[in-house]
Amino acid sequence: MAERAPTVYIRLRKRVKMDRGQPILLKHVAQIIADPPWEEAIRNLELARPRQKDGSYVLIDMMLIVGKLKRLIPRVTIEHFGEPHTIVELRTGTRPAGFLLLALVWILLFVGSGMAIMNFHADVSMSRVHMRLYEMITGIRDEHPLVLQIPYSLGIGAGMILFFNRLFRKKFNEEPTPMEVEMFMYEESVHQFVVTDEYEKMLERAERQDRQGEREDRREGREDRRKEREEP
Amino acid sequence: MNGLALQALSALVGLAGGLAVGSGFVAFITVLDLIPRLAQIAGTRNSAPLEGAVVAGVLFFTAADLWRAEFGLFAAAAAAVGLMCGVFVGMLAAALTEVLNVFPILAKRLRLQEQIHWLLMAMVLGKVAGSLFDWLVFQRL
Repeated sequence: MAERAPTVYIRLRKRVKMDRGQPILLKHVAQIIADPPWEEAIRNLELARPRQKDGSYVLIDMMLIVGKLKRLIPRVTIEHFGEPHTIVELRTGTRPAGFLLLALVWILLFVGSGMAIMNFHADVSMSRVHMRLYEMITGIRDEHPLVLQIPYSLGIGAGMILFFNRLFRKKFNEEPTPMEVEMFMYEESVHQFVVTDEYEKMLERAERQDRQGEREDRREGREDRRKEREEP
Repeated sequence: MNGLALQALSALVGLAGGLAVGSGFVAFITVLDLIPRLAQIAGTRNSAPLEGAVVAGVLFFTAADLWRAEFGLFAAAAAAVGLMCGVFVGMLAAALTEVLNVFPILAKRLRLQEQIHWLLMAMVLGKVAGSLFDWLVFQRL
């Protein structure tokens, strides 16, 4: 081959969402720069064909990509940047949740949080605290100081909205809301788990193959020894 | 003499109890990340004055309660204090990590990521309604 060996620059994406049922091609999981004669073939290199029984996450490892590329172009040089792996999240029939489900969860949360706040009030003897506070401020002893309690109740809502930064979003600053951070952290944890889990599975598979090989070796060894004993 | 020793002992017990409760309170507030959050809303990176406010509030209300202070103010003052108590409790409720951890999982499992603000509003309105129900109906039965 007189032709100069091509160089491929690959930058893996961190996370990709794909519909189930289509093969995963290199162009789905990576940004690629390659010389024109090879580019199309490289971009459409098939990496995996997820089956129905495979979970909803598939890990595409850089080692897998190197192997497949070397098979396609034996003398290829691969320059790789960024993540060593991509997580492909397979979506099955992306049907958004229905209105009924939303309504059901809404009512669940509404009633549940209402009960939770009543539980909290009972736990901390809030009515006695209110009574004491009202007496401290006005000097009047009142079993049900509604003047204090109704603003208190509205304040709970205001405090929660303030914390979640919903109504006034973007007014304060560009920082993300705690909910956005929490969503991000959750996805990041799932991401990390999938990577670790898939690598472990890979390792297990390799070990099982090794052990099988060893067992065969041992059996052969035993047979050899038996033969030796029988022979003399 | 015996009485003095007993008094000294109870002072020690009181001090120890106060230390435990005070550090527990600060630990709770710290875990919830409430003060950094308020500093962010107030537009400052310096949370020291806010920490001072927490300590001052704790000391002031402990003293006022202990000496049975009475300020003889109008009911409107009680309404203002009540509102602020409510905002604080609301922020506590919102900040409880329990609440925050439930939402991402719930939204993902039920594929309700887009409608998450509706779920938040359900929670907020549920708290307000539950609290009003508690004071206006339940406690007066």
